[in-house]
Amino acid sequence: MSGGNPFDDSDNEGEIREGFLCPSCREDLKSVEFLVEHVEKEHAEERDAFQSAFKDFFTKAKRKLKVNFEDNRSGSSSEREIKPKDASGPWNNPFMSMERYQTVGKDWSHLEIFNQERNPRLERYASEANKLIIRLDKILTNRPSDPAQRRNHERNIVQWIDGSLVKLCPSCAKSFHIARRQHHCRLCGSIMCADCSKYFPISDAIELAHTTSSQLEEKDKLSENDDQENDIRCCDHCLHLLESRKEMHDSRTCRPPITLLYSKIQELKKEIFPDIEMYLRIRNSLCEGESIFKLSDASALRGKIGRMAELIDLTSKKILILPSVDGSREHALKKYIRLACVQFIKEEMLSIPQLPVEEEILKIQEIKKKETEQRIEKEREMALKAFEKYGLNESSPSRASNGESASGSAVKSLDNWSVHQTKNVQENEDILVEQINIIKNYIKQAREAMRFDEVETLEVNLRELQNEFYSRNL
Amino acid sequence: MNVIVAVKLYIEKMATEAGSGLKILLMDKETTSIVSMAFSQSDMLQKEVFLFERIDSGRSNEKIKYLKCICFLRPTKQNVALLSQELRNPKYGSYFIYFSNIIPRTDIKTLAQCDESESVREVKEIYADYLCVTKNMFSLNIPNCLSRLEWHPEALKRSVEGLTAILLSMKLNPIIRYRGGSYNAKELARQVNEQICKESSLFDFRTYENGAAPPLLIILDRKDDPVTPLLHQWTYQAMVHELLNINNNRVDLSQVPGIPKELKEVVLSGEQDEFYAQNMYSNFGEIGSKIKLKMEEFQQKAKDQRKVESIADMKTFVETYPQFKKMSGTVNKHVCVISELSNLTTKRRLFDVSELEQEIACKADHSAQLQRIKNIISDETISISDSIKLVALYALRYERHANCDTSGLLSIIHKRQGSTNIIPSLIEYSGQHARQGEIFNPIRISDAVKLTRKLIKGLKGVENVFTQHTCLLKETLEEVFKGRDLDPMYPTISSEVVPFRRPPKEVIVFIVGGATYEEALAVHQMNEAGFKVILGGTTIHNSDSFIREVLFATQGVQFKHTKTLAKFHSIENF
Repeated sequence: MSGGNPFDDSDNEGEIREGFLCPSCREDLKSVEFLVEHVEKEHAEERDAFQSAFKDFFTKAKRKLKVNFEDNRSGSSSEREIKPKDASGPWNNPFMSMERYQTVGKDWSHLEIFNQERNPRLERYASEANKLIIRLDKILTNRPSDPAQRRNHERNIVQWIDGSLVKLCPSCAKSFHIARRQHHCRLCGSIMCADCSKYFPISDAIELAHTTSSQLEEKDKLSENDDQENDIRCCDHCLHLLESRKEMHDSRTCRPPITLLYSKIQELKKEIFPDIEMYLRIRNSLCEGESIFKLSDASALRGKIGRMAELIDLTSKKILILPSVDGSREHALKKYIRLACVQFIKEEMLSIPQLPVEEEILKIQEIKKKETEQRIEKEREMALKAFEKYGLNESSPSRASNGESASGSAVKSLDNWSVHQTKNVQENEDILVEQINIIKNYIKQAREAMRFDEVETLEVNLRELQNEFYSRNL
Repeated sequence: MNVIVAVKLYIEKMATEAGSGLKILLMDKETTSIVSMAFSQSDMLQKEVFLFERIDSGRSNEKIKYLKCICFLRPTKQNVALLSQELRNPKYGSYFIYFSNIIPRTDIKTLAQCDESESVREVKEIYADYLCVTKNMFSLNIPNCLSRLEWHPEALKRSVEGLTAILLSMKLNPIIRYRGGSYNAKELARQVNEQICKESSLFDFRTYENGAAPPLLIILDRKDDPVTPLLHQWTYQAMVHELLNINNNRVDLSQVPGIPKELKEVVLSGEQDEFYAQNMYSNFGEIGSKIKLKMEEFQQKAKDQRKVESIADMKTFVETYPQFKKMSGTVNKHVCVISELSNLTTKRRLFDVSELEQEIACKADHSAQLQRIKNIISDETISISDSIKLVALYALRYERHANCDTSGLLSIIHKRQGSTNIIPSLIEYSGQHARQGEIFNPIRISDAVKLTRKLIKGLKGVENVFTQHTCLLKETLEEVFKGRDLDPMYPTISSEVVPFRRPPKEVIVFIVGGATYEEALAVHQMNEAGFKVILGGTTIHNSDSFIREVLFATQGVQFKHTKTLAKFHSIENF
């Protein structure tokens, strides 16, 4: 459909027009009746192409038209232009517009400089630590339990510094003698006195080494006799490197129950927002007297929200009873998580407005129906007046009122446009019925699954189909 | 141009950039106030910030590695040192570091060297470096910014940082004007300008083409208008500050007899309290009737709440209870504050005092006023501080009057054992020699006093004897927006000639020596009228804090302009 749709975004003329435009020649026909008349007369031969254009036109423009139509329904035949909603514009209330458009202020990230400075250092540490871990792994593999053999085993892996070259302990500067003997770091081979030696716990060593290689049976064997004998003697420097590596490893992998429970709460919260939104929409729609949704839909959704609230409540209570020291920060953290959940439930979930009762809805629907009927009547009168004014009396006014007995809403009266174009396509009808049934089925399924946004679109589709069906049968 | 929104956006940005998960916010003393002015704790809870920690106070060593730590700190040496320590021995899993102002590169390198466990994920400057008091007012909380009538170096540095931050958070690169003849205003203007030039890439915002005027930063000096902070105020916010003192949106009511425990300290924030937001600029009479309405509404609701008969009633009760509870808190709080205000008003006979204050400020009738002041300050039922303020106003008003009898009045004060040194200090600080522009303008209000005196109660927005005075700032702003030539009184700092005569669209006013809530009201009215103005000050004064500031600023200064009052300079001279 080339340029047939006035609402098409790729409009090459760049001009936006509104009103009762003919989809084919873009002429403004001022009212429903004129448009139908015009299409009948001018574009009868283009019917087939026109039909497909119309379908597209409907789906794309329905909502827009509906609004437009209702806005302008009292404006009868006068030229319709696009007017800004608030004629005074933003200048009238600059304060409001300021707040709306205020964006977050300037910021300046220094992460790049920070990383430039930090990363080379980290890399150096990392490669050193890696070297140590490889050695650690070798030391642990086939480690003899006899002290003398173990010593030899360790010496084979790391080259020990020659003791005769070192006269003083490098860290405390005391001289070595018979009472202060030399000891070697098992990881780098350096020398220190007994007081300056540190020990890396064997369990940590196994854990660290096992992150690089897995020797499970080894671990079992070694951890049986778990005393100081087995810890690995090392110097301060190596110990620091290994310890910080271990800490980093722990903090990356640590997933205590509190975080698991908390992420569950967050998931629930995320899940509930669309439901609340949907609930509000259904409720609005009900209060507006529309019949897309049923009251039972809303109360089912309400029940679901309530259940979710209970679930969040329960989970946050679980967090609260996790063990922790009284007065510790963890304790406070748990209390605040609970508080936040209670707050969230109170403000977001329990404060959703109540549903109207069945009778109220019926009443509203009744009123709405009457209103629309009156409106349609009024429109028709106005159109007729305009009709006479323009003196186009070749067409019979009775045609315009064709669809009216069936129509209950403004949208339906718009459907008048397509009334006469589809009469000859009889075989389509069966397909249409089938389609309607399929959609009805879908709606049922969607309802059961509480996917109300789908229900909504399906209901709209169904209505369109029904209208189509209706009008063809006339 | 809403400073609260600006700070809120920054804080939200911090919380979202850290991603979801359990978070702790690590702050220093000042950033704690900055955050608390924009968000309540429950707001922060909903942003997944569950714990708060001060970097500079005794901290626990408990490691909680599954927490994300957002650090929001001022870029001080002390904070950098403390943060380095923290990073060397990290207690939390990851760190997102935000500085509230421009930080030297060397400090970033220092921090980088400390991060051995690779736990820092972000290092950023954001410019929420001021306390947002209302939508269009900020403060820097510097109580005494001058010593010996010149900038305290720390205060000057903080002011430059505060102004830089406000410009960056509003994305403005303004023309800077200062109050001509004020050394302090000029110095601040110069340094802000220097900062803008130095960080020109930061200030690279949209250019102003087609002759549209660039925004204006105008730096004023408190000494030009010493009268405004001395007058008694009658709008809600200003009155609370004058009589009860607002500190970071908090009012301390613990001195009020018989106050319930939960109301010992109340928070007055337009962000969290709708009633306050609507009424902070209402006058005392209006506020009385408004709170009465609110009370009635509340009582009605309370009555409805009580008759819980059916299941449906119960359900409604449970559902509306949170709102009900909130409302009850608000009503309670304001009733308490307002009744205390009205107590103090009666006790201190503030109607009488205020009427006379306004008359001195706005009307020229020396002998009659002198007589009335004499009568009123000898009256023991008038508090000594109110009496001193009256004499201060007189002394400023009739400083050069032929029959000026300040010393006579001071003798009366002295007889009542009041401290007389305030008046000479005040004249040294902002006597006629220091001022520019005419603050006492009798024509301005001509014969407003002849209006029949109306009771404040039930008065609806009518100009009355208690609000005759308009602050100098209002007139200055009017001139700015009328596009008057500002050059003679408010020269620009940069040597470039400003070709525009058009009024600027955005104006930021900063008052060296503190702003007042009366000026906030004027700025609020300008904003309502469609102009974009933000008011800031080194602090927000009431009369007491202003007098303290004056005394502090004049300490150790050679008194040149008050030789006739020499014997009142200190109490010991008698």
